[in-house]
Amino acid sequence: MASGSPGAAGMTRKTVEALSARMREPDWALTRRLAAWDAFEQLPMPQVTHPEKWRRTDLGDLDPGAFCLVGGTGDTAQMRFIGTIAREVGERAGLITHLDGSLAAIELMAEAAQQGVLFSDLATAVREHPDLVRDYLMTTVAPPDEHRLRALHSALWTGGTFLYVPKGAEVVLPLMSQTWLGAPGCALFPHTLLIAEEGSSVTLIELFASTGDGPRTLSSGAVELILRAGARVQYAAVQEWGLPMWEVGSLIRAHLARDASLRSLVVALGGGLVKVDVESQLLGPGASSEMLGVYFGTGGQQVNLHTLQEHQAPSTSSDLLYRGAVKDTARAVFSGLIRVDPGAQKTNAFQVNRNLILSRGARSDSIPMLEIMADDLRCTHGSATSHLDDEQIFYLMSRGISRKRAAFMIVEGFFADVFDRIPRERVRSYLRARVAEKMI
Amino acid sequence: MADLDIRDLHVQVEEKVILKGVNLQLSAGEIHAIMGPNGSGKSTLANVLMGNPFYQVTSGEVFYKGEDLLAMAPDERARKGLFIAFQYPVSITGVTMASFLRAAVSARRGYKQELMPVSEFQKLLRSKIEALKIDPEVPGRYVNDGFSGGEKKRAEILQMALLEPQIAFMDETDSGLDIDSVKVVADSILRMYDEARGGMGVLVITHYSRILQFLRPHHVHIMYDGRIVVSGGPELAEELEQHGYEGIRQQFEVVASEVQEEGAVRRAGKVFWVVH
Repeated sequence: MASGSPGAAGMTRKTVEALSARMREPDWALTRRLAAWDAFEQLPMPQVTHPEKWRRTDLGDLDPGAFCLVGGTGDTAQMRFIGTIAREVGERAGLITHLDGSLAAIELMAEAAQQGVLFSDLATAVREHPDLVRDYLMTTVAPPDEHRLRALHSALWTGGTFLYVPKGAEVVLPLMSQTWLGAPGCALFPHTLLIAEEGSSVTLIELFASTGDGPRTLSSGAVELILRAGARVQYAAVQEWGLPMWEVGSLIRAHLARDASLRSLVVALGGGLVKVDVESQLLGPGASSEMLGVYFGTGGQQVNLHTLQEHQAPSTSSDLLYRGAVKDTARAVFSGLIRVDPGAQKTNAFQVNRNLILSRGARSDSIPMLEIMADDLRCTHGSATSHLDDEQIFYLMSRGISRKRAAFMIVEGFFADVFDRIPRERVRSYLRARVAEKMI
Repeated sequence: MADLDIRDLHVQVEEKVILKGVNLQLSAGEIHAIMGPNGSGKSTLANVLMGNPFYQVTSGEVFYKGEDLLAMAPDERARKGLFIAFQYPVSITGVTMASFLRAAVSARRGYKQELMPVSEFQKLLRSKIEALKIDPEVPGRYVNDGFSGGEKKRAEILQMALLEPQIAFMDETDSGLDIDSVKVVADSILRMYDEARGGMGVLVITHYSRILQFLRPHHVHIMYDGRIVVSGGPELAEELEQHGYEGIRQQFEVVASEVQEEGAVRRAGKVFWVVH
């Protein structure tokens, strides 16, 4: 049911022009898209340009240009499906729903709107707030030509979420977005642009899901988080892609100014192959970033997460905790780099990665890396990989607990220290339930 | 027929034979003690009865209320009323005692998919914690994680109290405890035993006789080199105090040299000790 796909033959320059016209974009936006398209056509695949980061990922014969582009006519039955995800997470200040690359519904509570918060799909923001979008969209945080897939993303981003929080505004309840891809064989390029002005405070939770049927789908997303001085942002990206999905070359990158603080949570549960970069760049003194991650591969899933904690200013801190489990024949790769630039003294940088292997055929690699060019700092990193412990299983079973529940309890316990750091109980219980589903 | 009937049980770990033909009958309402030197197979016996997959049963039979116990998985044994208080309970980081205990009690009480209602469980847990004078912080801590030796033993007793077993194996629950703590543990076991009004049997495995002074077991068995070589009443523990395990070893070897045949040694061993 590839409804709404403009051409199963794949993507061309004309696809870019048609998309821009359909979105009624101003000229500058089209010009940028076409420049990105040119870059896409010229750049080799990222395995060639970034061999170290990509050598553990088998992209096979993936041709990103061969997918159809989603056409924006998702049906309401699917919308109900993702609506349940948003409901489980509970109270919110606003919600955007994207179906197959187009805005399907939007709500924003008065509490946020009255403070001048802008929350819309990105296409609308391009038309209505060009001054803001033009300056920040893929200009400094996520430039379009970092690699071939990013270029394709920049040429063909659709839907998108735009969130602008004015100086001093404080939004208590979370804003949410949910993105659904229902067209088999099609590609989606979701983009998020968040600008939190000085001293503002906001939470954005994004959910991604896609069809579990049909031929392969593709997603390559980019999230730009811009935190001005003293801004406090909580950001969560939770994906439950269907198995046909290959999410490749996605980026979540934050720029933190002086005294800004970010808490991010990345949850990777779905998709056949997932490869995401999660980066915090601490640009101003006093900035701090907490980075949490949960990943769980089952069946034949491949999960690749690459993190960067980059300290460019003194007295900055970062604290990363990523935990992942693999089951069946799943494969996970975590690589995490802490980079401390010259002059970034009095830095605190912590990184912990833990992996749990639940089946003989599953595999997990953990690659911590350090590049330290300052000399007055505290930096620790640790990674460990363990197997499901037979003695723990026996202990629980000796109390009447079934093997299945015992394994689940141990896995849940494995993720507990990440879950314990998630402030919202509804989000925690939602994640526990998803992990339980993965154990079946 | 006894509730628990162990017949000629042989067990090994990899190539090493540990139990060489254990026979024992135990019923609800009885307190038994197994004593014996280190390495004689006492802990192995308790673990095998609970279904620890680390050990392989090579021959023999065990019946629990007439059913083939060895065919049951550990969780089924527990749901049917068997319990072991481990000598070295493992810790499980990230799993709270409260959630673990709720899952365990729910399983024992026959809940299937769902768990026992929280309020009902909390009430039960509070009452047991008070009765056993356990630190009220314990339910919020991770399972055995960072527990002292004594805390671990008390947590095992708490589990026993919550699960209300019909047969409980206490694997050196007294070891590593000072004499006051031994008395507290023994009192707890006796209270549960009394409250069960004949519905609970206890098999205490110990290296020392001191806990037996409090428990006053009905039957005492001496295990040596993978067999129960002597069985008797509580006076046996006192005799053992006088002779020491070295005394057993010498006497057992004397009999062995006279009788030659394995099965006969066991029978002769028992007779020998009673005569002595």
